[in-house]
Amino acid sequence: MVNIIIKNLTKKFGEVTAVKNLNLEIKEKEFFILLGPSGCGKSTVLLCIAGLLKPDEGEIWFGDKLVTSPKHDVYVTPQERKVAMVFQDYALYPHMTVFQNIAFPLEVRGVTKSEIEEKVKATAELLGIFNLLHRKPKQLSGGQRQRVALGRAIVREPKIFLMDEPLANLDAKLRVRMRVELKKLHQRLGTTTVYVTHDQVEAMSIGDRIAVLKDGILQQTGASKELYDSPRNTFVAGFIGSPAMNMLEGNLVKKNDTVMVDLGFSMFELPTWIGEKLQETKESRVILGFRPEHIEITKKWQKNGIEAKVDMLELIGRELYIHFTVGNKAVVGISRPTEDVKIGESVWIVPQEEKIYIFDEKTGEALI
Amino acid sequence: MKFPRPRRILLYVLLIFFAFMYVLPFWTCITTSLKTEKDVINTVPIEPAWPTLMPWMDALGIMERPLLNSFIFTLFATIFSCFIGSINGYVLSKIRFKGSEMIFLFFTIGIFIPYQSVLIPLLLTMSRLRLYNSIQGLILVHTVYGIPICTLLFRNFYGEIPDTLIMAAKTDGAGTWTIYRRIVLPLSSAPFVVAGVFQFTSIWNDFLFGLVLARGSEALPASVALANLKGTTTAFWNVQMAGALWYALPVVIVYLILGKYLIKGYMAGAVKG
Amino acid sequence: MKENLIAFSILLPSILSVGYFVYASIGWNVIASISDWKGLEPSYTIIGFNHYAELFHDPVFWISLKNNLLLILLFVPASVLLGLFLAILLDMKVRGEGIFRTIYLLPFALSFVITASLWAWMYDPKTGVINILLEKIGLGFLKSGWVTDSSIAMYCVILALTWQFSGYTMLIFLAGIRSIPESQIMAAEVDGAYGFNLYRRIIIPQLKPSALAAFVILMVFTLKGFDFIYVLTGGGPGGWSTFVLPLEMFRETFTMTHFAYGAAIATVLFVIVMAVVLPYLYFSFRRKGE
Repeated sequence: MVNIIIKNLTKKFGEVTAVKNLNLEIKEKEFFILLGPSGCGKSTVLLCIAGLLKPDEGEIWFGDKLVTSPKHDVYVTPQERKVAMVFQDYALYPHMTVFQNIAFPLEVRGVTKSEIEEKVKATAELLGIFNLLHRKPKQLSGGQRQRVALGRAIVREPKIFLMDEPLANLDAKLRVRMRVELKKLHQRLGTTTVYVTHDQVEAMSIGDRIAVLKDGILQQTGASKELYDSPRNTFVAGFIGSPAMNMLEGNLVKKNDTVMVDLGFSMFELPTWIGEKLQETKESRVILGFRPEHIEITKKWQKNGIEAKVDMLELIGRELYIHFTVGNKAVVGISRPTEDVKIGESVWIVPQEEKIYIFDEKTGEALI
Repeated sequence: MKFPRPRRILLYVLLIFFAFMYVLPFWTCITTSLKTEKDVINTVPIEPAWPTLMPWMDALGIMERPLLNSFIFTLFATIFSCFIGSINGYVLSKIRFKGSEMIFLFFTIGIFIPYQSVLIPLLLTMSRLRLYNSIQGLILVHTVYGIPICTLLFRNFYGEIPDTLIMAAKTDGAGTWTIYRRIVLPLSSAPFVVAGVFQFTSIWNDFLFGLVLARGSEALPASVALANLKGTTTAFWNVQMAGALWYALPVVIVYLILGKYLIKGYMAGAVKG
Repeated sequence: MKENLIAFSILLPSILSVGYFVYASIGWNVIASISDWKGLEPSYTIIGFNHYAELFHDPVFWISLKNNLLLILLFVPASVLLGLFLAILLDMKVRGEGIFRTIYLLPFALSFVITASLWAWMYDPKTGVINILLEKIGLGFLKSGWVTDSSIAMYCVILALTWQFSGYTMLIFLAGIRSIPESQIMAAEVDGAYGFNLYRRIIIPQLKPSALAAFVILMVFTLKGFDFIYVLTGGGPGGWSTFVLPLEMFRETFTMTHFAYGAAIATVLFVIVMAVVLPYLYFSFRRKGE
């Protein structure tokens, strides 16, 4: 297995820069996720790794082999790269049976017929599609086609798997099931995998590490816990976690030893540990962040509480989503179904001390 | 329902009236071709007489060789231009390189040029290559002038094949030629029929090239032979009509069986003539 | 890269042959038109644009041009309108639509030599079906020499060509009508439009691109169409009454061996056709976003 090193990758399409100066290291055997909204450049990065797109600048290394470098005029063709790719639309060859689809990459490389038969059957067995081998793609369901696409990728025992939103076209239940299966498969085969998705739940559940991209620029890289606990900017903070983190604008105010955020309609006192961290920071516009799942609700004023009016309640099985209006902004909180709140009531939201975030309003960067 | 009921009768009346108008020339042609000379003069064209196959035999006698000629060069030119169009279309639609749009435009304009503007140089070229008055010459000419439209047809069709399919084949290790052979070609049965049928009828129906390049020889195409029939005094109307029917036969058969593919070819925006 | 090289080498033979047989030949033709080539031996002495000047003063040229114009003004609109009419009729969910469509389109699939022969027979003054039918239904006074009468021969040609092409324009319009989403029609019907109104205000206005395509293609045909008129009338009667530019080119070049002069006519023809085709291609390439 190999690791992948991407240095200063830049790719433009006409006027638009799809990927800007990207630096990444994907470790051997890692299940690495490229996460971001549509148009953030994640698929472009994947295609560059596959060799299907040539970047304008930068280098891509597989282990110690340089596979792409415009500057040094190095470019290994996709055929020679020994990567396997699974596409969002599966890209199965419509005129071939499942067997022939999976056998194709082996055939093209001149593998003997008997060996092909052995390998294809073993792969089909592994993925539970053995009885579909003589069917054609149009006779298969979405989930089955997806497995054939996987089979075609696995059968070559490649060093790198690339997956471009492979679960996007499956219905919700199937997607959850396939997620687990993919993870199990990865544990079994141990192949370095780069996986593109826009679904942060998916990313958080199966990725070893995640790189969050926006408009072609890398926002943050880390394990899911790291991204969740310590987002580096408002974009990552708002993208990871659902419902999204609540963000309120205000002025950072220092009075004697206390640091507060002036939210306009009330003052919010920040806990001492934040006050210490912000000692050097000047008074400025900031964004106060806290996740819906990290709040308590009280009926009385508290200096570290925010006054809110209950707008709507959504009872979702084991949780209660509460929609508040704070000032003139919408805020969401999650609580237990037994929480004693009524629509129209005024309450105080108290974010958990350890889980408060402060971001610079202009740059979006985390200040603590 | 777009029109209320009583009007439907008017609709069918109109349709049948027009159908009648369209069929009339063919009907008189068929009946005339089955009459003796005397009958042609003495009977009304749309009334059939006691049928005789003489005109058909006479016409065949005159047109036998030209029909064979037309078959040969039409068949070969169709096959050649279709295959060339197919690989051109594949390359232009699936391999994005600088200038592929320009080259496509280069071919597309070639579809619309009036052939008069290349006729004289063509004549010189053919005679210099010693291909004047030869079937090979006609094959060459029809193949080359068929390349633009075939390229257009295939390129448009291959444009519908998702790029991800080609990308998958590349990562699977298939090179350009393998992708064409194992992925694109097997998916090409529809465009081959469309292009084949379109080319067959266009080339079979051609008159100008035949007239200029192969008029007085053994390579005489059927279209020119038929036109010659009209000019002569030896072939009376019944023989002429029979000759026209012999010549029309292959195209009519293709039209009736594979008509919908021919229509697809017409809709691609190009027309004969 | 290597792929691009393969691509280019595959295209090369086509590029070269089309380049020679189309583009280079056109250029060669232009050169021939400014040479003094007369007779069977090619001559390449350049004598300037004399032939074009000659053309200007040639009455046959103007007659041909007039006839081409007549085709454009009569044949094209007639075919387009008839095609539109037939398309609308066929859009009405008729039974046997396929059969009617096959009948209307058949003439278009056939060679001009065939259709010219058919119409020559029908137009024959003594034994042709038109005159005989007219007589039979009591309209004998409408009998005429048709294509043997130089004053109306061209109109006979136009009628025959309309018969041949209206199936094609019908096809174009039918495709255009059918491409309008069913939901739009239903919305219009709920709004109260049906029958004539529906067609006039909803459907026909959306057929502009189809009409344009039909116009352009037919116009190109009127300019370069040769086969039909050559076989039906040979350009006569009376010498030039059905002459069109392609016919004049053919006659001057191959009958009279005035090759340079013929080349000049061919060049003029080329310029006129390109003047119609290139703007149309430009706009449709732009529209497709290519």
